Formats: sequence, structure tokens, C-alpha cells
Amino acid sequence: MSVIREEVLDKYSAKVYKNRKEHVITVGEGNPDVVSANTRAIPGIITQRGCCFAGCKGVVLGPIKDAVIIVHGPIGCAFYTWGTRRHKAIADERKGEKADSYLEYCFSTDMQEADIVFGGEKKLKKAIIEAMDIIKPKAIFICSTCPVGLIGDDIHAVAKWAEEEYGIKCIGFSCEGYKGVSQSAGHHIANNQLIRHIIGTGDKEPVSKYSVNILGEYNIGGDGWEVEKLLKRCGIEVISIFTGGSSYRDIKNAHLADLNLVQCHRSINYVADMMYDKYGTDWLKINFIGIESCKESLRAIGEYFGDIELKARIEEVIADEIGNIFEELTYLKSKLKGKTAALYVGGSRSHHYQLLLKDFGIRTVLAGYEFAHRDDYEGRTVIPEIKPDADTKNIESITVEPDPKFYKVFLSEEQKNILKEKGILLNDYPGMIQDMDEGAIICDDLNHFETEEFLKVLKPDIFFSGIKDKFVIQKSGFLSRQLHSYDYSGPYAGFTGSVIFGNDLLMGLSTPAWSYIHAPWKSNPCLEARLEVEEYA
Amino acid sequence: MTKSKIEPFVNLNVNPCKMCMPMGAVTAFYGIKECISMLHGSQGCSTYIRRHMATHYNEPVDIASSSLTEQGTVYGGEKNLINGLKNLIELYHPKVIGVATTCLAETIGEDVTRIIEKFYRENKEYQGITIIPVNSPGYGGTQYEGYFGALRTILEFVPMNCEKNNKVNVITSILSPKDTRFLKRMFQSFGIDIILLPDLSSNLDGVFKKTYDRLPSGGTSIEEIKDMAGAKLTLEFMNLELESSPGKYLEEQFGVPYRRLNLPIGLRDTDAFIKTLSQISGNEIPGEIVEERGRYLDAMIDSHKYNAEGRAVIFGEPDFVCSTVRLCVENGIIPLVSATGTTKKQMKELIEQEIKEVYERFFIKDYEIIDDVDFKKIENLTEKLDANILIGNSDGRRIEENLQIPLVRRGFPIHDRVGGQRLIMLGYEGSLSYLDDITNAICSKKETTFRDTIYQTYFENAHINNLNIEIEEKTKKHPCFNGCASNSARIHLPVAPRCNIQCNYCVRKFDCPNESRPGVTTKVLTPEEAFEKYKIVKSKIDNLNVVGIAGPGDALANFEETKETLKLIRDYDKNITFCLSTNGLMLPKYANELCDLGVSHVTVTINAVDVKIGAKIYQYVHYNGLKFEGESAAAILLANQLSGLRILVGRGVICKVNIVTLKGINDKHIPDIVKKVKDIGCYITNIMPFIKVKGSKFENLEPVSNKEVNIIRKECADIMKQMYHCVQCRADAIGTLDQDKSIEFEIDKKNNIKQDLTETYRFAVASKSGVLVDQHFGQTLEFHIYDYKDGRVIYKEIREINNYCHGEEVCEEYEDKLEKLLHIMKDCNGIIAMRIGENLKNRLHDRGMKVIVTYDRIEEAVKYAVQSM
Repeated sequence: MSVIREEVLDKYSAKVYKNRKEHVITVGEGNPDVVSANTRAIPGIITQRGCCFAGCKGVVLGPIKDAVIIVHGPIGCAFYTWGTRRHKAIADERKGEKADSYLEYCFSTDMQEADIVFGGEKKLKKAIIEAMDIIKPKAIFICSTCPVGLIGDDIHAVAKWAEEEYGIKCIGFSCEGYKGVSQSAGHHIANNQLIRHIIGTGDKEPVSKYSVNILGEYNIGGDGWEVEKLLKRCGIEVISIFTGGSSYRDIKNAHLADLNLVQCHRSINYVADMMYDKYGTDWLKINFIGIESCKESLRAIGEYFGDIELKARIEEVIADEIGNIFEELTYLKSKLKGKTAALYVGGSRSHHYQLLLKDFGIRTVLAGYEFAHRDDYEGRTVIPEIKPDADTKNIESITVEPDPKFYKVFLSEEQKNILKEKGILLNDYPGMIQDMDEGAIICDDLNHFETEEFLKVLKPDIFFSGIKDKFVIQKSGFLSRQLHSYDYSGPYAGFTGSVIFGNDLLMGLSTPAWSYIHAPWKSNPCLEARLEVEEYA
Repeated sequence: MTKSKIEPFVNLNVNPCKMCMPMGAVTAFYGIKECISMLHGSQGCSTYIRRHMATHYNEPVDIASSSLTEQGTVYGGEKNLINGLKNLIELYHPKVIGVATTCLAETIGEDVTRIIEKFYRENKEYQGITIIPVNSPGYGGTQYEGYFGALRTILEFVPMNCEKNNKVNVITSILSPKDTRFLKRMFQSFGIDIILLPDLSSNLDGVFKKTYDRLPSGGTSIEEIKDMAGAKLTLEFMNLELESSPGKYLEEQFGVPYRRLNLPIGLRDTDAFIKTLSQISGNEIPGEIVEERGRYLDAMIDSHKYNAEGRAVIFGEPDFVCSTVRLCVENGIIPLVSATGTTKKQMKELIEQEIKEVYERFFIKDYEIIDDVDFKKIENLTEKLDANILIGNSDGRRIEENLQIPLVRRGFPIHDRVGGQRLIMLGYEGSLSYLDDITNAICSKKETTFRDTIYQTYFENAHINNLNIEIEEKTKKHPCFNGCASNSARIHLPVAPRCNIQCNYCVRKFDCPNESRPGVTTKVLTPEEAFEKYKIVKSKIDNLNVVGIAGPGDALANFEETKETLKLIRDYDKNITFCLSTNGLMLPKYANELCDLGVSHVTVTINAVDVKIGAKIYQYVHYNGLKFEGESAAAILLANQLSGLRILVGRGVICKVNIVTLKGINDKHIPDIVKKVKDIGCYITNIMPFIKVKGSKFENLEPVSNKEVNIIRKECADIMKQMYHCVQCRADAIGTLDQDKSIEFEIDKKNNIKQDLTETYRFAVASKSGVLVDQHFGQTLEFHIYDYKDGRVIYKEIREINNYCHGEEVCEEYEDKLEKLLHIMKDCNGIIAMRIGENLKNRLHDRGMKVIVTYDRIEEAVKYAVQSM
């Protein structure tokens, strides 16, 4: 099946070809399959990747609703991250304690030429004074953009000053856009500061017998609410969510939870790892996208706590949720079965959604990540093999020591082994490849050019990606669904979300417009006959 | 964060109303044929800009990046840029590449021009490709500057062909593709050959084709751009005059004549545009365009009735704001706030005169024209100036949602609706579409809210629960209702001497304790005297805002006097607040008339809403000529009080209820009274202590302390607003007026009183106490004889008689008795008594004896009698 890869990469120069062929593989051809990842994007090729600032401010910090995030830099970066991601939140009040939400707001120091020449620290300080005078938040995050690091503004000194001056939480995030090779660097920087400055500073004990944090759930289209609802139905308390719909005041209590559930491995695995080292909190890679995945994830949580009553409750909830969607699900399956899909999203979604597609009998022919690392493809067992390059080394990697007050061991080695025998992996992620069919293609850092080429060759029924390539896909005559923003739809998580997802696909595939693509006055068919799936499988 | 506080953010931009320079630069390059732009910097810049443009245009937006990394910031980005150009050319085959810098490239000081030269040297095969470097640091300005900067750079960079041609250069600020297509069509219809820079007509508004083209096919070609130096004219469509104007550059460098035109939006600017086209081409204006103009004008007239209600907030790029302001002004829509995020001071000069004229016409005080502004400020102004429509890009949607004000979407970006690329504003038809959208937004808001608005404003507020503003204002100024909060003075005019009920705590020797302080005997005035007194006091005291009729008896038991007094004063002063206090017995009869007289505040004393308790408080009531006692008296009084209050509240009168606290009788019952009157809709209750009066039936009742009264008030404060007595006020406004003897004296001195009063009269007064007219004519055993002379009332003597009446049934038999009486009083001009049988009264009248029925102090009664002679 390398034929397909060769066909797509054929037009590259030798140098680019050499680079790209390491990123594009056919599952089952390697022994084992190796995907080059987290390397520099090729200039000029029109990558779909974003920058470090996007990963830090846009992804991890953005959804934290009660922190005022001041973007320190010229106006563009702040503007472009204003309400562009569909992470939802409600400003909830608890026990009369007012919870502000600043998600609808965008704060920037709006640096001008003079600030670049003479430094912007003073302006940043004044901006914080204004924020404290007028908005009075409990926490302020300062995010750097490209020029800030270059002109040497010390945002961390300003953050320290603000903490002393106002007694609030103020944290600097040096997430200049040029750092690392993609958003991923920004995730890491955000993770570091969360563990360093926030997690472990709260004292609100859980009230229920079993409590968890949900890591890497950003509440796009209400996914986080759907997941939290499922867990609550099972009697599991959710202490904090990283970071969809979440708040500074919840995240600071994260260390008091019994277990971490990791949804998006890429963006938050550093927090999971460091919490394991510092507080002894185990983490479980779960996935609430897909019906079978939801079942497995809930059952794994039941097994972890090992409580018969809890397990029984989980089974009841699963039975009830399935009962609610069964008829619709059966209908959707009958309509969607046999379709093919390509996915190009994020650092985890391309994996999660394959499992949901499988529930509907849709086969994945191409999957790729924008900013993943090798472990997201191949599993965490490859981590020791990954040689850190210059770009990786530039991102601080911190090690933490067990916390003398809060470190506790939840499960004995023996208990862990029992879990392992049941197929439940703790503190580990096996990666995307193991869930993929042989012959399917994996493409890391898929770019604009390759998207077009793969469409021509693979002709999937549905291409899942984002807004930047959406219109290329549609103009090529294919259904495009955005998996970053869900095209204004959602939630897609949980049992209910699966049906919403299925309906969206059916709606998209059967929209009458597709049938009019071929104008009656033209004799030759508009779209060439598509390859049958079997031909290359 | 609170939504609406006026907050002076200076260093913190909250919700930016602008984007960065590279955004503008790449937009300009999208109008160049077979061009792809590349941003020299981190890849985030191109990703973000692609994302924003794609969401607006619903088109693929391909912008490459040199993907600089940390290493590049240290060693320079030359290698990345050169490799990037190579890859871009190999994969996408552009003929033109626009390389725009970013914050990063500018901060590290990249010399892009030099790098491109190096690229050409190393890659001779690519020399046919035009690579244009543009400086666009994100901190150097907004997309507006980035756009014009890029256009100018394109002209500076492309080698020009100065050979004269017959074309017209057309340069525009950022337009929607559909508007651009319109512009091209217009020139075409006049037969004018143009070079449009940039041509955004198709690249960002593509068609669905059989196959997808990686490079969009539209745009201005480099060959056309070269010819711009030889054109016969440059027309630049922008409202502001720019230093860096691309058209001016062509004029300075190549001598191409330059003309600036406002964007053809609205009637005046489209007229100017069409006229220019006609002039340039020498062609007549086609009939079709004339018709379009007529249609737009017709629509302007049709929708003016809605547009006149428009109070607009306009925001966006400077040209957009200027044009929209002009369109609004033409249509009678008031631009309250005209705002741009770009720093452009000239914008104010351009539109201020227009806006001022509308303001003067509509008597509106405040407007704002601001540049360098963020949405937080715009939102604050929107709320402060009470706008009802927003016009601008979709970033205004947060204000739309927060303040529930409709947003008409135009400009860039439109992210929450489809079709941003198809929105039109240019020409008569574009203006019409734009105007319709604005008008319809005003209509839709009106259609969904007008029922509630009208109901609340004109019905509910005026009559039922809420107070209308006028009365609310009056209430604020009313010392009897708002005590200390008020600086107003009030005057109580004592024109009502009689009373129709007997409270057990009252002795009629004194003023009614239901309203006034006991112990001060007040001179009773005639309506005319009262009016004179009012005029004198008003001339001395500026803040006299309230006239009250409060006694000394009951205002409604003396309705004719009360009415006359109020009429006289109302004719003299339209703004005075009238208040009146009553026991409420006659309220149902007179309530509507009181409202018609303009009484806005009424106080009713209700001591019980339980008939059994009422019976303990009231000795009797006189109603419809009959005397009732016990529970029946209490029942009549209560029923009339409550129904009277209902009428008043229904007509928007502010009602206060006074309650006298009577220990052991109604003190536990007071919260029930308060609840009852609150349900009716009264404004405030005034719970008062009972003050012992010697000679009253309750003279031995233990008084309540102020402390006890305050406890009851606090308890009742949970139910409704309570009045707490304020010593300061009493000493000041009320006290001064009440005790201002000199003023009364002045009335007498000035001889403003009727001439009649100087004549001499004699009256026989039926009195038991010798102080008050307190006896029934038939039951009195003695008559007090008083003379009236020179305005003074003089006591003469007592004349004893056998009482006349032993009951109605025997009256007729005592004809001779009447004769006896008449004989005793033959030197008198009239008889004054508290009550007299109607029959007897007529007979006395027939015999030439004036009968005056009143309940008053004798002096007052005599004066009153003289008035009626």
C-alpha cells in the first residue's frame, strides 16, 4: 500500500520527500510501525499547525473561566484567540460565592512600536493594576507572544510583583509563538506552570467516596458536561476538569482527588505524570468518545476502585444510557455502515473518533495528528527511544518530588497487577496505531498540499479536520466535518453525544446539495467514481 | 465582570476592535492574480489569520509560513524563508508571492528584501516569479494600515510601464467580493476600462467547479499593475485621506492624476460616484441606474418612520464607519457612537459636522466619535447613551447578547453568520440592502417588544404597580412621603374645619391628630384666603413644592372648600404637588374628582381592618346624613377607606396610610393593616404613636413609647416601605411654614380679604364646650352669641333656651317653640350648629335665618359663616 504514499509524496523535491516519508506510513508495514512526529514543520508547505502560544493560551489556559488571561504583546494574538474555540463554561455560583467567567472577554496589552523599543513591562504592570482596580479577579495569567521573549520583558517578575501587591494568584507563561514546533510546546509550558503554581494549593476535600479529575477535556460543544454527568450518575465526584468549563478555584484542589482520568493524552499528560510523582495519583487513559469506549472507560474506573456497589451502579448507568439511544443508534448504523473516513485532528482526537466511527461501522482509511509526539501514535513504551532534539530541549522539562503532606499510595503493586491482568493499564497509553486496521494510512503533520492529494487518491466519504481545510475538502466534493469545533454542534461525548454525532454525519452525507453538483447541461460526470474501500484495504 | 460600569481601561485592551497588520497585508494580496502570500514568522500567525478569513469567506485561505523556530530567532530566519519560498513555488506554482513580515521577523530585524534578492540569485529558474516584500509588524498598526501599506508596496515594487494608456486606476479600501463585482460592473456599464487594485471580486468568493483549483483564478495581474503608471486617472475610494495613499504615490511618481472619492454608500456618495463615472466616460447615466436611484429614494421615504427611532452604534474600519455614518445621517438614524479600533484622529473631523446637525435637529445631547477604542468602551457607551442598534462586524455580538440590542452585520469579520463575502453596501442597490437591514433590525426589535413597552410605559407604570416618572419625582420631593430625603417645603392649608367621624382619641377642640401635631390650633381659611396665603408663601420660599389639605377637620368632609382651594392654586401653578389627608369615609365618592383635580398624594388614616377592632376605636360616623355607631360605623368606614384607596391606586395616586398605635386595641393588629394596604398598592405606611388627649375617651389609655412604635415599624418594614419621623424635617420645612405667623398677619394687613368681611354680623352658635361648634341645633340648651366686626370675632353672651328637639316624630307639634327660638335670636344674622334637621333648616331659611352647619372652632365657624352670607 506504499503505492498510495508514493503517489501523494511524488511531487515533493528530494529533500522534502525525505522528510515527509518518515511522517507518512501504512499501518502494518513496519515492524513495528514507526511514525516520525513532533519535528519542525516544513516552511512554505502550508502546515495546518499552530504555534506555542496557541497551545498554551488557546488550548490549556483558555477554558479556565475565572482567571483573567492577559495576552502580553501586540493585538493580533489576543484577537485571534478571542472566542475562536468552542470551549463552553457557565459562571456557576456556589454557596453564595460568586464565580466569574471571563471567557467572553479578551485582554491584551496591545503593545505598540514604542513598547517593543523601550520594553513593555511597565505597560503590563499598569494593565494588571487596571484589571485589579476594575475586574478584581482571583487569578491573572500572563501569556507572552513572540516579541516579548525577544525584547526580554520579564513577565515572571511582574507576576511575582502582582502576587505580592494584591495577594492574588498571578502566573507568567513564557509561551512565545516560536518555541517548539507546534502547539505541543505550549501545552507543556502550561502544564508545568499548573503543577508548579496551582495544583496542590487548595484545601477543599472531596465529599464523596470516590473522586476523580478529568484531564484533557476541554468541553468543546458541551462534551465536558456530558462526561461529568455520566460520572455523577455513577456516584463519582469530579473535583476538577483540565480545563473545559473549569476554574482556578477547582484546579487548585486537584491533588485531593483519588484518580486522574486522561482524555486528551497529548495536551495534559505532563500534569498526569507529575501528579503521579508528586501526589501518587494514578492516571487512567479513558475515552468518552464512542459507545464502546464509554462502556470500557466507565468499567475500568469501577475496576480501579474495586467497589462492588460502584460497579453495579456503573452497569445500571450503562444499561440506561444505551436503552435511551438504542433505536436511534440502530437506525444510524444501518445508514452509515460501510462508509469511509479520514481524520486529521489534534494530538488525540484522531484516535478517539476512530473508535466512535467504528461503532457506526465506518472505517478509517487515513488518520493523522497535527502536533502529536511519537508516543501518541506508538504508545508510551517508545518514550525512552525518543531522542530529544534542539526544539524539545528548549522546552523546560521539570521533575517533581513526592509531596511530604499529600503523597499517598492508592493501590498496592499487587492490586495493580490484578488490574493489569484484567487489561486495565494504569499510568500508560498504548497509542493510536494499535486501534487501527492494517493498510490504513497514518500521516503526521498533514499539510494543505497532501490533504488535496489524499482526497484524490483515497476518496473518503467524510473528512474530519478543521476550518482551514474545510473548504478545500468541500470544493473537492467531499463531506467535511470539523472536529475542533464540531461545526456548531455537540456534544459528541458520551452515549447521547454519539447519537448527535451520527445524526450530523447522516445529515451531512444526505444533504440534497450533493446531488446537484453535476449540472444537467454537462455531459461528463462531475466526480470520478470513487475507489471501493476493499480495493486498497 | 459587571457588564456595564464605565471603566477607564487605558493600558489593558479589553475585547479588541482591531486586528493586526499582517491580516490586512494578506487580504490585499488575495486580490492579486495567481498570488500566494507567506508570513515570515511563527506559523501561528498564518494559522490564525487563515482560520479567521476562512470562517468569514467560507473559502479555502492558503497562507504559507516560514515557520520560524527558536533557532531562527537566534540565527535569523533567512534559511527558513528561502526554503519556504522554494517549497511554496514547487507545490503551488504561484506567479506572485507576497512576503509579509510579522512581529517576530520585525523584532529580530529581518531584512526580507535582501533575503529575496539572495533567493533570486540562488534560484535563477524562479526569477520570473514576482516576490513582493511587505513590512507588516503586528505592533505597527491594524489591518487597515497593513492593507494600504501592502498596496503601496506592491506599486513601489512592481517595475512600472509608464507608457500612456486609456485606463483608469481604481483603488479601494477592503470591500466584500460582491461589492467589488458591483464596482467593476458599474465602470463597465459606462464603458470605462479600469485597473482595479486589488481585485477581491472572486478569489474569496469562489464558485463550485468540477475540479478544485489550488490557485484562485481571479485578481489583478502583475501586467495590469505595471500599466497603472500610464493610466489617465486614479480614482481612490476611501473616505480618509491617507499619507501613504497608493493613488497619491502614482501621482507623485508618475504624474497620474489623482481623485479621491468617498465609498459610494448612501445617496450623496453614490450620486457623486455616478456623476464622476458619467464625467469620465462622457456617457449619459443609463436609465436603469436612474431607476435604481429612484427606488432607493422611494425606500428612504418609506422607511423613515422606523429609521427616525434609530440610535446607532457604528464600529469598524475608519472608511466603513465614515460611510455608515453618512448613510445613517441621510436616513435620520442618529449615530450615537462612531468608533474605530484604528488610531485615526482625522475620522472625527470628517464626520463630526454631519453628526452635529442631526443632533441639533433631534435635541440629543451626547454623541461620541472615537478612535483607538476597544469593545469594552464601545459597550459602555452603548449602554450609557441608550443606543438601540449596533452596526459593524460580528465581534459586536457580545454586546448584542449582553445588552439585547440587534446587530446589523457588515464589514470584516462576520463569524457567526454565513455570507459575509456577499454582503453589499455599494451603489443605490447596495445602500438599499444595507438600509433595509438596518431598518428591519429596528423593526424586529420593535415588533418583539412594543406590546410590553407600550403596556409598561403607558399603562402599567402610569396606573397600577409602578409609578410613572412624574409622580415618582414628585414623591421624591414630598416631605410627607420621603422625609429627610426632601429639601422641599410644604404648606398645609387649613380650609377643612368639619369632621364626619369621631375617633376615641380625639377631642375636636384640637387639630385632627390623624395628620397634624396636636396642640397647635390653626386658623381656618377660606379657599380665597388660602390661595392668597399660598401665593405669599410661595413668593418667599422657592422650594415650596407641596400643598396639603389636612384639616383641621377632614378634607373630604369639606369637599367644596377643598376643591375650590385646589382649583385656585392649580390654575396659578401647574407644577405644584397636591396632597390631601382624610379619614377615607368620603373617598369612594370623591376619589376620581380628586385625581382630576391633580391630587397625586393622599394619606388615609386606617386604624383597623377588622370591624370588631374598629368598633373600639371609632365612636360614630356620620354618613349620608345618618349617624352610625359601633361595628356598623367601623364597617362603613373600613369599606369606604379600602374601596377609595383602590380607586386612587388604580389611577396612579401615591397613597400613604397613617396608623395610630393604640396599646391593647390595635397594636397587635397593625401588621394586618399594613399587609392589607400593601395588597391594594399603597406606597408607604406611617405608624404613629398615640398621644393622650385630655377629655378624649382614650384619655386614660396607656401611650406607646417611641421604642415600641419603632419595633412595630421594623416588623412592618418587611411588608412595605415605612415612614420614620424625622426631627430635622419637622423643625425645618414643616415647622417653619406652620408657625409662620407673620405670613398670616400679612394677609390681614394687605387687606386681601373680601370686602364683606368688614361688615358686622351676629350669630347664634350651638356649642357645649364653648370652644367648638359641637352641638346639634335641636339638642343644645344654650346658644353662644358671637359678633363679627372689622374682621374680628367677638364673643357677646350666652342665651339659654329649653332644648328644642325631642325626636323627629314630635317636631311638627312644636311650631311655637320654633317661634320662641326665633324670637330669642331675632338680632342674629344666622345660626351655626353642628347638625340640624333638614326640615327645620328649610323652615329657618324660609324665615330669613341663615343656617350654617359645621364642626369647627367657633371663631373659624363664624368667619366661615360670614363668607357664606
